[in-house]
This record gives sequence, structure tokens and C-alpha cells, in this order.
Amino acid sequence: MPIIDIQGMERHYEMASEVVKALDGVSITVEKGERIVLLGPSGSGKTTLLNCVAALDSPTKGTYDFDGKTVPRLKSEEMTTFRRENIGYVFQFFNLLQDLTVLENLLLIQELSGGRDKKRALELLKLVGLEDEIDRFPAEISGGQQQRVAIARSLAKSPKLLLGDELTGNLDSNTSSMVMEVLVKACETEEITTIMVTHDEKLTKYATRVIRLDSGKIISDEPTGN
Amino acid sequence: MLSKTPLAPLVTLFSRSNLLNKRLARSLWRTKLRLSAVVFMVAVGVFAGISFGAYANAATNLYDDIYDGEGGVNLPDIWINNPSGVWDANESSNLCDSISQNWPDSEYELKTCEQRLVVDGIMFYSDSGSEETAIPAIWHGIDEGLVDKVWMPEDSDLSSGELASSFDEIVLDSHIAIDLDVQLGDEVEISSGSDRMMYTVVGIGFHSQHLFYAQEGMSLPADDGTFATGYMTASGLERLTNFSEGSSNLILIDIQGTPSYDLQSTDDVDEGKELNFVIDELSELMSLETDVPVSVYDRSGVQSVEFLRADAEGAVKIFPYVTGMIAAIAGITIFLSLQRLIQSQAREIAVLRTLGVPKLSIMPGYIIAPVVIGGIGSLIGVLLGVYFGAPSMLGLYEKMIGLPISSDVDNSLITQVVLISMVIVLLAGLRPAWQASRLQPLAVFRGQHEVKLSSRRLQRFTASLPTTVGLSIRSSLRKPMRVGFTFFAVGISMLLFGSMLFMLESMEDSFIGGIKDRQSWEVQASNSPGGEDAIVEWVEENGGQYELLINFPIGLEDDNREITAFGLDNISTVSDGGSMIMVDLMEGDIPVRDSATMQVLIDEGTSVFLEWDTGDVVPIYVGNMQYEVEISGITKGEISRTIYLYREDLSQMVGIESTSVLIQLSDDDKSLDGLAELSVGYTKKADAINTFETLLEQQKQFFYAIESLGVIIAVAVLFNTLLMNLAERDTELATLRVLGAPMNKLGKMMFWEHLGIGVIGGVLGAVFAYFGTVLLASSMVQWAFYFTISPAPSAIITIAGVVIGISVALTPFGMWRIKKMNLVDKVKDLSN
Repeated sequence: MPIIDIQGMERHYEMASEVVKALDGVSITVEKGERIVLLGPSGSGKTTLLNCVAALDSPTKGTYDFDGKTVPRLKSEEMTTFRRENIGYVFQFFNLLQDLTVLENLLLIQELSGGRDKKRALELLKLVGLEDEIDRFPAEISGGQQQRVAIARSLAKSPKLLLGDELTGNLDSNTSSMVMEVLVKACETEEITTIMVTHDEKLTKYATRVIRLDSGKIISDEPTGN
Repeated sequence: MLSKTPLAPLVTLFSRSNLLNKRLARSLWRTKLRLSAVVFMVAVGVFAGISFGAYANAATNLYDDIYDGEGGVNLPDIWINNPSGVWDANESSNLCDSISQNWPDSEYELKTCEQRLVVDGIMFYSDSGSEETAIPAIWHGIDEGLVDKVWMPEDSDLSSGELASSFDEIVLDSHIAIDLDVQLGDEVEISSGSDRMMYTVVGIGFHSQHLFYAQEGMSLPADDGTFATGYMTASGLERLTNFSEGSSNLILIDIQGTPSYDLQSTDDVDEGKELNFVIDELSELMSLETDVPVSVYDRSGVQSVEFLRADAEGAVKIFPYVTGMIAAIAGITIFLSLQRLIQSQAREIAVLRTLGVPKLSIMPGYIIAPVVIGGIGSLIGVLLGVYFGAPSMLGLYEKMIGLPISSDVDNSLITQVVLISMVIVLLAGLRPAWQASRLQPLAVFRGQHEVKLSSRRLQRFTASLPTTVGLSIRSSLRKPMRVGFTFFAVGISMLLFGSMLFMLESMEDSFIGGIKDRQSWEVQASNSPGGEDAIVEWVEENGGQYELLINFPIGLEDDNREITAFGLDNISTVSDGGSMIMVDLMEGDIPVRDSATMQVLIDEGTSVFLEWDTGDVVPIYVGNMQYEVEISGITKGEISRTIYLYREDLSQMVGIESTSVLIQLSDDDKSLDGLAELSVGYTKKADAINTFETLLEQQKQFFYAIESLGVIIAVAVLFNTLLMNLAERDTELATLRVLGAPMNKLGKMMFWEHLGIGVIGGVLGAVFAYFGTVLLASSMVQWAFYFTISPAPSAIITIAGVVIGISVALTPFGMWRIKKMNLVDKVKDLSN
């Protein structure tokens, strides 16, 4: 059974003079453990698709099943619960909480999601190579390290799916590579499915499958052989 | 033309930044809610300033006009009072002659010396068949006179008719006439220690000694219909009292011009040095001319005059503080709001700076903004103050004081208040404007301007707590300046709220507690010298109990002020019992009878003002006679300056047995039939308590208005800060929401955060309010009016509770804000 089964997904936005179809009949199935990179020009609909997959946004039409169950839509708290139980999210600008240390950034998410598990938090920080930085504040570490903390944080509550939106967009190429390697290692270790939105073609080498979008439609969907 | 003026560079600068200012105005408009809170604060400051200022101006100008203005009463400069008896016509005349002939060699010249007779009495009143009420009264024998005339302002609805010209005519004081709805032509039945007589009311007016309409020695105005005063001809009063023609007990002296007198509120300055010299000389003269002890005093010794002066002085002192405090809160909210605005606009400013916009073009907008906000707030405040606040305040004052008050608001007052507010708001905008112009584009683009390393110490302190709690604490303290200013502003608003609470508690304790808990008499009947026997006989016949009391003014060495002496049969504390007037002993011991040096108790206020302590031996004066007394202890709870002695000691000094009889009525017979004819007036304790309670009720309305103002300001301040805290954390909260944080947990986190701010703010607010009120009270207390503020637990809990309540009550708003957050838009911000 695929972990994600999206059929005929559409997302329309009503603008002042027209209705914009950000997604126009997208259908995808994703198997557990896949690492997908979503590519496409600006306005192609890749972030909208990511938002719908994360249940941050509700599609206008179509079906979306996750792990065999229909994903809630339009109900804020049910969508939040879905995200909490299933989704990890990594942002371009890291968005770590500046008042919390590296370790506390992970513990906070655990606390808000159910229970604190310091052992797992420490394991994850070790997994992303930051076991020596646990007591530092985000402002005291580099951008690449911050993004690795963000990855560890997104894994802290053991999600089934990790989503990343331009997660290396704010990093130089060397740091990007290091972050992506960490991400791949972590996701393989944790057996987590990954979908990443990016403009950066170079990231396709870390994917098992590349989906290209344009004008809200899938224009290609190919495995990479990784 | 302008380009050639010195203002040209400024004009150029402001016009060059027009678009920037427009951009700023739009940004401000986007924060309408917070903007309106700031405008509200300014408006409240101006409103309060105009309302209080109008009251202060009215209070100050009114008395000057009444005392010395054209058509005023021509207030005497010196009073010579015979509290223990009456001089006959011959003595009276001789005294004035002697004063005229032996007038001290000073810069002041005697203008007039007039004798008066003023007596206690009773006014009998029954309304359409109801039971007759005996109202304690003071009757004045005043022919037209040159000094201290009856005041009957022609342009006021509160006075009417003409002066009494026949022995059976009377001018009733406007206060009692209004209370009892007495009209011109009505007949009133009155007495003063002998037969009742009927007098026709020919006028309704005021008298300088009763503008503050209170019974002698009382610190609060009398309740409606519980105190009467009337002004008849000298012959009319002689008829009532059976005194011989020309009798008097008061000599009024008018000096050429208006001499300065020593103000009781200025301990260190003797404004009336020359007048005091005259008073001392006259005291000396009186001791040679008359056998009875007399008091010689200036305006500060006249209760009504002194109270109203103190009231006006207090109002003049307080109004700039109130305006300034509220304007300061407005300034703080403007300062914090602008800082937040600059923080949120940092990138825009950085882009503008990168594109070459000079620093000086950035600044004007941030200076104009508070000026515009202040201008709008001031305009609203002026309108509200002129058309609502000042008329309400003056109306309330007129109602309380019972005097005609002009409701005009002076233009100079409006200008003064608006200027204070505008200067404060302008100053509040200067630093943020300077900060805005100093932003470094590179630092902004790198995000360095906002990243502030969290405190390591705070991290260690909160490390063992759940992360959510730790985050709440750290987030709350992230901006120490903001939190500090917020607590300061909340503290000031709680000073407004709490000072009223503390004062109300203390006043209730002092005014009502004093008479309710420490006095067990039911009726106090005043007697003429030697007239106590008849009253005592009446009490014994009616199965009651009694104690004799002497109330007498006591003088001080080289000091024009007086203390009221209480000569008691027994001096005891509430716990000891055994006296109808008991004391609350603060320190020391009850005086020992027949000590080598006569022992006395003094009240706390006397101790503070004269710096007298337990164990001190001090001189006191009865008339011109000096006595040495030892202070055995200090009492608390007295509003007026008081000294307690054993009656037998005081009796020897003043030469009379009693001035009144304290009576506990028999349980079987509470009737007072016949007492009116035997006494020169009596007061029922229940009436006195009612007077206090009614007045406190009236005061409470005013207090509640101020309290509400304090709470509203605290709401606005906390709302402004918490909203800024939330807005600043939008990114954090959005991140947590995207990562699946449930609303209830975020709500809990916010609740604890607000609770924390509330608890700290509440405690600081209570501390601020208490010490502020103590400071305020210490600047208000005067010789004639002393009270202390006690840290009443109920008031402290209420203040802290209000701040905590306000803070916590804003949690649902914060949650609603998070709930309506558009996560899709937020994610764009987080990733683009």
C-alpha cells in the first residue's frame, strides 16, 4: 500500500479577476522510503503541492489518502493532528527558536507532540553530527548546522513523511551537500519517506525519484536509479 | 520665499520624505488595534489633565474670590476666640479699644475690630407631620458688619433674599436650606441652651466658616440635613441665648491689605512671620485684658478656610502628576510601538538605505508619527475633557461642597495639558526615530539586527523546567526594556487604581473605624460653661450613663497652629475598655494620673509634624499660660491633631468642668425628649457614622471612576505589549503550528506566559501602588488632615489580581490570533 495516494488533486485560488489553478489534476502515488525531489519553475505549483501533502492547505478537488486513510481537509485542528502524527517539515530559513538551545529545540517539539524523549533527541543530534553542540543557542552555530538541527527537529517526533521546502536555498553548495547527506542518512536510518521542493537540479542526486511540475501539472515523473 | 528662511532645510527635508511618510502612515494603519490603544492613552491623559485641572483651578479661584474679591466676605486676618465663655458688652468693647490702642508696632495697620457672638445650638425640623429632628447647629450674630460678612452671591441659584435686619429674622446657610428645602418666608424653630424660638427665613447664603460644611472638629462635610448654620442679627442671637446686649465670644480683626500668613502645609517656611508677631503680641495683650484663656489665630486656624485651601492646594499639586503619569504611559506605549514598527520595517528601511535614501529622510516620519498620534489623541482628550470630564468633575465638586462653581475651562489650562502631553509623546518618538535612521543595511539583511543571544544564565535557570515553560519565561524576558517599560507603565496605572483602593481602605478605617470601634457613646450633648449638671441630671433620670468631656484648643510655643485637647474621665485602649472614647495606642503607655509632670497622649500626626516622641517633655499653651507635659504615648487613627489628657488636669488649665457630656442611653429608653432644651446642641453617634458613610459613598463614585481609568489604562498597556510579543513571535508560532503543535498546548504555553507576566506585573503593580500611594499621601497630609496608608492585604490582592486577570484574559485573544494565522502564507515567509 502506498504511503501517499493523490488522485486528480486541484487547488484553485480566487484572485480579483480570475481563478488561478495552482494545481490542475495532479495524481501521484508514493511508496514508503522513497526520496522525491519536486522540481519546477516559480509558480509551477510545487510548493502548493507540498502544502497540500502537509495538510497545511486543503485541495479544491481530488482525493488524498495517507497510509490508507483520507487526509482531513478544511478542519484546522484535525489537519494539525495529522501533521503532528505524520509529518516532519524543514524550512529554508531553519526557523529554530532562538531562545532555546539546540537540544531544547528538539525537546520542545516532543513536548508539544506528546512526550519528551531526551534520549531520542540526543540520538538524532548525534545522527546529524551535532552531539557537541547541544547546549549552544542557534545564533551560536553556522547556517548549515542550524539546518541540520532543523532536520533533527523534524525527525524528533518520528514522522512518516519528511517535507522540505527549499531546505538548502539558504546555504552554500558545500554546506548544501553536507546537509543533504545528513538528511539522506537520517531518513534511511529512520525509514522515513521524503519529499523536497527545490530549484536546485543538483539535489536530484540525493533523490530516488524526480517529479517535475509546470502550470500545476506533472510534466515528468521519473526514478533516478538511486 | 520659504527657501530663503532658516526653516528651508527642514521644509525640504520633510517634503522630500513625503512618500516615505505616506508609507509609514500606511504601515501604522495596518496596526490599527495597537494604534488605537496608543491614541486612547494620549486622549485619556489629556482628558484627565483637563478634568483635574479644571477642578484645581475652580477650587483655587473660588476661595480667593469669596474671601477677598469684590462682593466677597472680607475674611478677617486674625480671630480671637473665647472658647470657654462669653464676654459681656463692656468687656467686648474694652477689648477692641485695647487692641486699637495697643496695636503692635509692625508693618501691618489695624483696619477693623469687630465683636461677634457665635454659639452652638439646635434647629428643630419636622417634615409634614413626621417625627421632629433636632439638628446640631451653629448660630452667628452678624449685623451687616465690615468683616466676615454673610456671602450671598447675586448670580447664583444657591443664594437668595437679604440679610437679617430684625431680631426675629435669620439667613439660613444654603447647604441646610437646600437639604431641608427651606424657602424664603418659612419659619424655623431653633434653640441654644434655653427656650425654642421661631425665626423667619429672609435670606439664604453662605459664611466663610462654613463653606466647608462640617461640624466643628469633623474632617468630612456633614451629611444632608445633619448640620445647620444660621446668621441673624446680634440682637436676634442675644434674644435666643438670653445673653446681654453686646455680648461676644469672638473678635475679628481686619488688617489693611491682605497679609501673608504661615501655611500649615509648609513646615520649613514661615510665610507669616510678621503676622505671627502681631498674633503673639495680641495673645500677650489678651492675657492681660481678660481672665479667660483665649485663642488667637490667623486663617490657618479656621477649619473651613484651612480645609478648602488644603483641598485646592492638593488639587493643584496632583493634577500635573495625574496628567504627567498618564502621558508618560502614553509615551511608553508610543515608544514601544514605534520600536516594534521599526523592527518589523527593518528590511524596508534597509532597502531604502541601500538605494541611497539618506538617514535624515528616514527620521522625520518616525518623529511626525508620534506627533500626529499625540495630536489626534489630544484633540479627542480635549473634546472629552471640555465637554464631559470637566463639567462632570466640577458638578461633582459643586454637589459635594455645595458652593456655586463656574464650569468654564480656561484656555491656558487646555494649552498647558496639551503641551505636557505633546512634549512627552514627541520625546517618546525621538529614540525610535534615531534608531530607524541608524539601521545598518548589511546587518539587517544578515538578520543580525534581530538575533540577540539569549541569556545563558536564564537558560541555566530554566533548563530543568519543561521546555514549554522555559520558552515562556525566556520569551517573556527576551526584550527586557519592553518588559521593564511595560511593568513601569502597568505600575503607574496601578498607582491610579491602587491609590484609590488604599486610600478608600485607609479612609474607611480612619473615618468610620475611629468613631465606630473606639467610641461607645450614643449621644454627645454640648453644654454651656456650668451647664453640664442639668444634662447629667437628665441622664441619671433617664437611666443612662455619662462621661464628661472637655474639648479645648491648645496652643504651641512659637507656632500658630493649634491642637484639640480631649479631656477624658478615663483614658483607655479598646482592649482595656472602660471609657466612652478609647484610643488606639501605637506606642508608649496610657498616661499615669497625678504624675510629677502631667502625662498626655498625642496622635501620630502631631508626633510627625512637631517631631515629638514618647518620653519628651514639651510645652503646651492654654491661652497664654504655658504648661509642661510629658508624652507617655502616641495614638493612631486621628485625622485632626489631638492631645489626650485626664479631664481633671485639663479642667484646671481651662477653668471649666466640661464642654460636652458623652451619653450612653438606657436600653429601655432611647428617647432624647428634653435634652435639646438643656444642651446647646447634641450629636448622635449614629448620625455621625451615617455622615461618614454617605460621604464615603459619594467619594467612592469618584474613586471608582479613577480606579476604572487605572484598569482601562492597564488593559491598554498590557494589550499593547502582549500583542507586540505575539506579533514578534508569529514566525515561531507558525513554525510550531506547521510542525503540528496543537492549539491547546500553544494555548497553555501562552497562558503560563501571560500568567507569569501578570504575576510579576501584579506584584510590581501592588508594590508600586502602595509606595506611590504612601508618597502621594505624604504629600497630601497637612496639619489639619493627617492619615496614613496601611498595606491592606485585600487591596494588595485586588491590585495583583487585576493585573493577573487582565494579562490572562488576553490569552484567548492570542489564541484566536494564532488560530486565524494563514499557515500557507506563513510557510511562504518561512521558506522564501
